[in-house]
Amino acid sequence: MRTVAGAHPRRRRTAAVMLRPPRNQVDARAVKAWTAELLLLAVPVAAAAVAAYWIFTSHPVWLTVLTGGFAALVLGFAVVAPHAYYRLERWEVTGEAVYTRKGWFTHVWRVAPMSRIQTVDTERGPVKRLFGLADVTVTTASAAGAIKIEALDHEVAVALAERLTALTQAAPGDAT
Amino acid sequence: MTAWRTLHRRSLAASSVLSVAIATPVAAVLFRVLPRDWPAPALVATIAGAAALVVAGALVFDLVRLRTTAWRLTDDRLELRSGIVFREHRSVPRDRIRSVDLTADPVRRALGLAVVRIGTGEHASGERTTLTLDPLSRHAAEELRGALLHEIGEPHSGDPHGDRPLATLDWSWLRLAPLTVWTVAGGALVAGVAYKPLNALGVDLFEPGVVADLWHWVTTRPWLAVPLLLAANALVGLAGALVVFATTWGGYRLEREPGRLKLSKGLLTTRSLTIQERRLRGVELAEPLLLRLGGGARVKAVTTGLREKEENEADDAGTLTPPMPRELAAQVAGRIIRAGHPVLRPHPAAARTRRLRAAAVWTVLLTAAVAVAIRSVSWPVSWSWLWAVPAFVLPLALWLAADAYRGLGHALGERHLVTRSGSIVRRTVALDREGVVGWTVSESYLQRRLGLITVSATTAAGDGHYDLLDVGTEEGLELAARAVPDLLGPFLTRRVGRPGP
Repeated sequence: MRTVAGAHPRRRRTAAVMLRPPRNQVDARAVKAWTAELLLLAVPVAAAAVAAYWIFTSHPVWLTVLTGGFAALVLGFAVVAPHAYYRLERWEVTGEAVYTRKGWFTHVWRVAPMSRIQTVDTERGPVKRLFGLADVTVTTASAAGAIKIEALDHEVAVALAERLTALTQAAPGDAT
Repeated sequence: MTAWRTLHRRSLAASSVLSVAIATPVAAVLFRVLPRDWPAPALVATIAGAAALVVAGALVFDLVRLRTTAWRLTDDRLELRSGIVFREHRSVPRDRIRSVDLTADPVRRALGLAVVRIGTGEHASGERTTLTLDPLSRHAAEELRGALLHEIGEPHSGDPHGDRPLATLDWSWLRLAPLTVWTVAGGALVAGVAYKPLNALGVDLFEPGVVADLWHWVTTRPWLAVPLLLAANALVGLAGALVVFATTWGGYRLEREPGRLKLSKGLLTTRSLTIQERRLRGVELAEPLLLRLGGGARVKAVTTGLREKEENEADDAGTLTPPMPRELAAQVAGRIIRAGHPVLRPHPAAARTRRLRAAAVWTVLLTAAVAVAIRSVSWPVSWSWLWAVPAFVLPLALWLAADAYRGLGHALGERHLVTRSGSIVRRTVALDREGVVGWTVSESYLQRRLGLITVSATTAAGDGHYDLLDVGTEEGLELAARAVPDLLGPFLTRRVGRPGP
């Protein structure tokens, strides 16, 4: 039996059958990129809360604690969450299927067979572009079935999209 | 090259008759609004003129629409040119056509016309997925349907029931018709809907005087008035439900033609819907709570390329049967997919624990919310009544939780993956294993602690995914691996007597 790299470290129960983690980790720059993206959201939210507290209230103690706690929580999440995501996000493409894992509190594994893939897209948001990263989105005929491989090195993402497109075209059927 | 064809000219007759429905209220409103001191001939002339203008407007619009719309069926495509201001040319490959739907309201039916809607399987969001030909002559419509769905006509054998229709209407099913929320809403709903148009015509249902009298009557004799009002409400709801059932499902018939299913229904407005069988990915047995308590169920198709529910329709297009006795519905579902109903396996007891806990948590939250409301609003009830909230909500929530657990089940049939869940609406879905286009396995923090996962099969048809909620981790993964060979299997690890990392 192969030693499983990157299995969830906190898993206490061991089921007899489990989904193994996909082979590849996302790019190490992802942590910084995600942190930047989350901070872009979290800083204005925290600032707005503090500003509203400062301008519109008479600074009662309980509200000071509440506002401070909220701001700390939002900013703390933006700093901590990317590390958790990085530890858990993994992807793998075999000759037959695309396989990903993601999620922090809720783990989500997705599999789509090559023969059912309809489109392959690469996407680069402004922050991701700054860090030289890109996402690859794979859609199937299902309205619920899109699989996103996030935060790959741009070159890797383009190469992967090309490879997937070639593999998909080789597979027969109308993908429904 | 095939010539372009036009829609049927008798559409003009239909639209002039239908425009009377708009002209009548216009005339009624004018009659009320115009000053009383006008001479009678002027009054009549104005009203008649306005009504004539409405009818003429509808006619001109329809004439222009007929002139600008053209369609043709070539060897491999169906093309439609339409639009008065914005010209549009749509072209659909014939092999993309999934369903053909013929509708005729009483007016069009009397004129021998039918509206044809052609469904394609496109999943692009925001894009219209149906082509509408409004109207063709009944004959041309049938002919088009035949032509569009012709190529898949290889006859099936192995159906022991032969040519007998899958289901026809039994009027005794009418007893299941009132088992919807609409019956309970009943008269209140009718009064609410009727209020606006009646008000415009000068009939005010809720004149202050009337309402005050009613309120007085209710408050002075509550023991007589309240039951009486409730009974009247239920009676109106009951009558409404029966009428809706009769008009929607009168003449209902579900048949299998070679390679396709044909559904006909409607007492006044007739509809017939044809679905290609190779687009069928399974069936769903839907049992909303009230209907389930009455022992009824209805069958829906899980299919690609059926158009979305329209606003004015009570049922979405996938509904294949009216409410009918559960046993019969299960039989019809089985005959549609040509498979027996496998015995479902229950889910682990942990799934029940999870539901009961959620019920308790919701009760606490709701009680807390009511407590806050009492504190902040000057509510006319005192704190001493707060116990009534959990006393009423908790048993109900616990019952729903236990019922939801009893509803959970799954099985792997020869060709189908069967899942069942839900309490408010219990759905049993048999999904063709060939139709599964991927798996999503999710495990929330709470599920992880209870050893449960949710396995969902994604598919091109219906809702897009069908879930095995809260199934045991090993059981769920093994089932998914067996349901579609070589898809999830390669990503599973089986640990034999090896402790965790």
